[in-house]
Amino acid sequence: MAGTANTPEVPAAGSAEVTAAAPAEVQTEVQTEVPVAPAPPDGETPERFRARARAWLAANLEPANPSARGFRESAVSDVAPERALHRRLFDAGFAGITWPREYGGQGLGPEYERAFAEEARAYRLPDFGIVGGTTFRVCAPTMLAHGSPAFLRRHIPRILAGQELVVQFFSEPDAGSDLAGVRTQAVREDGRWVLNGSKIWSSGAYYADYGLCLARTDWDVPKHRGLTWFAVPVGASGVTVRRIRQINGGSQFCQEFFDDVALTDDDIVGEVNNGWTVAQTMLIFERGGGIGPGGGSSAPKGIAADLVELARSVGRLDDPAVRDEIVGVHVNDVARRALVARLGGLMRADPASAAHVASYAKLAMGTYDPLRANAALRIGGADAVSWPVGEEGRTAAAFLDGRFMAIAGGTNEMQRNGIGERVLGLPREPSFDSGRPFRDVLRDASTWTGRVPAAPPSEGRA
Amino acid sequence: MSTRLLAAPTAEQQLLLDTSERFIEDTLPVSKVREIAEGAPGPDGAYFETAGSLGWFGLLVDEAHGGGSASDNGLLDAAAVAAERGARLQPGPFVGTNVVASALSRAGAPFGKLLARLIAGQARATWVAGAARGLTPGAGEITARAETGGYVLDGEVRHVQEVADCEALLVTARGPAGLLQAVVATDAPGIEVRPLDGIDITRRTGAVRLDGARVGADAVVGAPGSDTEALFDRQAQIAAVLVCAEAVGTLHRDFELALEHAKVRIAFGRPIGSFQAIKHLLADTSLTLEMAKGLVAAAAEALGADAANGGELAHAAKAFVGERGIDVTHACFQVFGGIGYTWEHDHHLYMRRLAADAVAFGAPQWHRARLADRIGVA
Ligand SMILES: Cc1cc2nc3c(=O)[nH]c(=O)nc-3n(C[C@H](O)[C@H](O)[C@H](O)COP(=O)(O)OP(=O)(O)OC[C@H]3O[C@@H](n4cnc5c(N)ncnc54)[C@H](O)[C@@H]3O)c2cc1C
Repeated sequence: MAGTANTPEVPAAGSAEVTAAAPAEVQTEVQTEVPVAPAPPDGETPERFRARARAWLAANLEPANPSARGFRESAVSDVAPERALHRRLFDAGFAGITWPREYGGQGLGPEYERAFAEEARAYRLPDFGIVGGTTFRVCAPTMLAHGSPAFLRRHIPRILAGQELVVQFFSEPDAGSDLAGVRTQAVREDGRWVLNGSKIWSSGAYYADYGLCLARTDWDVPKHRGLTWFAVPVGASGVTVRRIRQINGGSQFCQEFFDDVALTDDDIVGEVNNGWTVAQTMLIFERGGGIGPGGGSSAPKGIAADLVELARSVGRLDDPAVRDEIVGVHVNDVARRALVARLGGLMRADPASAAHVASYAKLAMGTYDPLRANAALRIGGADAVSWPVGEEGRTAAAFLDGRFMAIAGGTNEMQRNGIGERVLGLPREPSFDSGRPFRDVLRDASTWTGRVPAAPPSEGRA
Repeated sequence: MSTRLLAAPTAEQQLLLDTSERFIEDTLPVSKVREIAEGAPGPDGAYFETAGSLGWFGLLVDEAHGGGSASDNGLLDAAAVAAERGARLQPGPFVGTNVVASALSRAGAPFGKLLARLIAGQARATWVAGAARGLTPGAGEITARAETGGYVLDGEVRHVQEVADCEALLVTARGPAGLLQAVVATDAPGIEVRPLDGIDITRRTGAVRLDGARVGADAVVGAPGSDTEALFDRQAQIAAVLVCAEAVGTLHRDFELALEHAKVRIAFGRPIGSFQAIKHLLADTSLTLEMAKGLVAAAAEALGADAANGGELAHAAKAFVGERGIDVTHACFQVFGGIGYTWEHDHHLYMRRLAADAVAFGAPQWHRARLADRIGVA
């Protein structure tokens, strides 16, 4: 078993219990039940659509509760009401507003989606936590771009109806940034595929239904050419999900072990051994290539209200140094928002550039989130680093959580590589692995020195 | 080379930008600016009149007073032009003239004649604020004493950007009834403009001395006191947006030169831009640059449309561009290696200008303090 043999011990496995993955009832349900969404009224204008949405929302949803902490990490059962809520949106024709009709969407333009988002802002919408993002903004869009019509007919309507939540089975214990270096493998046997190996850091896998999984299907070609994507049922026999305890004490991300998991051709997204093409699409969505065009998030008013509140709560709002710190954060906040608006404009003007300029948004999060969290810790001072037993250390939690985007979804360094090479047009670094069979690359990697046979005498002016 | 301050310009804005870029490349490209920096005379009247005919100085002026813009937001248009100017280190009081024109346009009829000359590029003007309201600490202040039918102005203000060939000045003074602003002609008795040396050799900076200079009541812009304070703040915001827009253009071009260098300079058998240390530095730098462009455009858009958050964004833009611009130009310097330390290489022209622009019309600290004033104000 190629993957598990190399699997290191899961760090801080303290509370990481092995769970029976996703809700059993969803998994055992017959796959052929495909929900059907109502068709949008013929020729409905965005204005009429908006009015219909407004009326439906008022009659059917509860008002949003801004102080509610949202779905974070809960028992699998907590997801059930969220699924039900999504189903109601679907049945009313407000799920997948811009997604294709034939796959359960409404097939309308982005202006309809914007209208709905604006109307819906005041209501409590389904909250799947991080899995909402992986399902609706990364995995499903990737499937739509590369899945066969039969695959999409099977899965997309169920996704839109809240029946299938999809997580990312990308990273592995031995391959993260180097996504094309994954070692989980699928082997063709008797007309099916047998999956073995391990994925890791998969956010929310313990309450999801599927993992969009990148696996190696050919070891004897260069790494980018032997990859295939599979939709793996989290509850399938041979899949073990183990929650991992995180820096913040929570356990949202998971490790999966695949032991002879049986898959079929029907589970493949894209083509066999052409997985890197799919991966490139996926990476665009993961970076937030979908941002911008929709846009429309209203800017919070005033100067960094959360930090002002924090400063007040610790009695430091009159401290000029603290005030200046708050202003510094505010300036970066507005610059970040302006960046996102600008990127949206650039993408609209030149859709082909969207893939690459999205890296800016990702890098901005990855670099400024931690800075902001650090500033909050300085403002909070001693009160931010210790507090009465039983109270919540909100600033400390934010300090830890603020690191998330620097790594998740592609590290800052990988974004810089992408911007440098694909936006700025700088030459790539020399590659030592992309031209050789992946099997040989792995064999030689640990003794790699970077020296070509006849090493040059000097290394410059070190 | 286009700076592309606007992510998606309208056809009319694009036309304004195209004609502006062509005009600059034809008449005053960076090679000529360098000659000016080394002592050749600055741009002549024809330069400004052509610029006027392109619309550069009427963008913030009401149509009723002969102004006009390419879009429905003249400040956004002006910022876009400013960025193209900054990319090519254009000298001349573009910011000052637009700030004064905007103020006079609001004040209306009495200044019609001057306004018409400013719009046409027949005259230049700038704003002399000095240390009033703390804008430029240590730059000196003007006081105004009332006399029958007007005021007498005294004092000296230093560090006035591009004051050299201005025909008129909008002077902010401390008067008997609070802050007061008046238009003075630079050739009037009691007024002396003298040049200063400075780090930015592509612009001409000076000091303005008023020694018993008399202005009539009809030269006063706005009502002295709190009205004028509000006008002052708005002028500072408009100036901030425009000088930031010029600076962003300057950053853009400096960065472009560094990027080109990273692609062609060879070390260790490959272009230096293939080294991650350089590649990542440039990636981070371009992120800062994109944020700066986005922020300046957002500030211009909001302030030009009189949106509630316009002033706040303008202050944020000056804080961001003023501070981070220096980081960006230093990163460029690092990429150039030794050549960047030479007089012959253009980099220092950009770096010098960015250092000066950071301070012009309020250093980042001042603009940050204005934001701090708003803390807790919902
Ligand atoms: C909170 C969180 C949630 C996550 N959720 C998911 C998920 O749902 N699904 C999933 O599949 N994965 C997930 N990940 C995994 C994440 O995508 C990877 O952690 C990330 O891509 C980095 O991979 P790695 O951890 O293997 O680090 P490595 O790739 O080993 O990187 C270690 C360091 O080396 C640097 N480095 C590596 N290669 C290069 C290079 N070529 N140039 C310069 N520097 C380099 C990296 O930038 C980093 O600083 C999550 C991670 C986190 C932290």
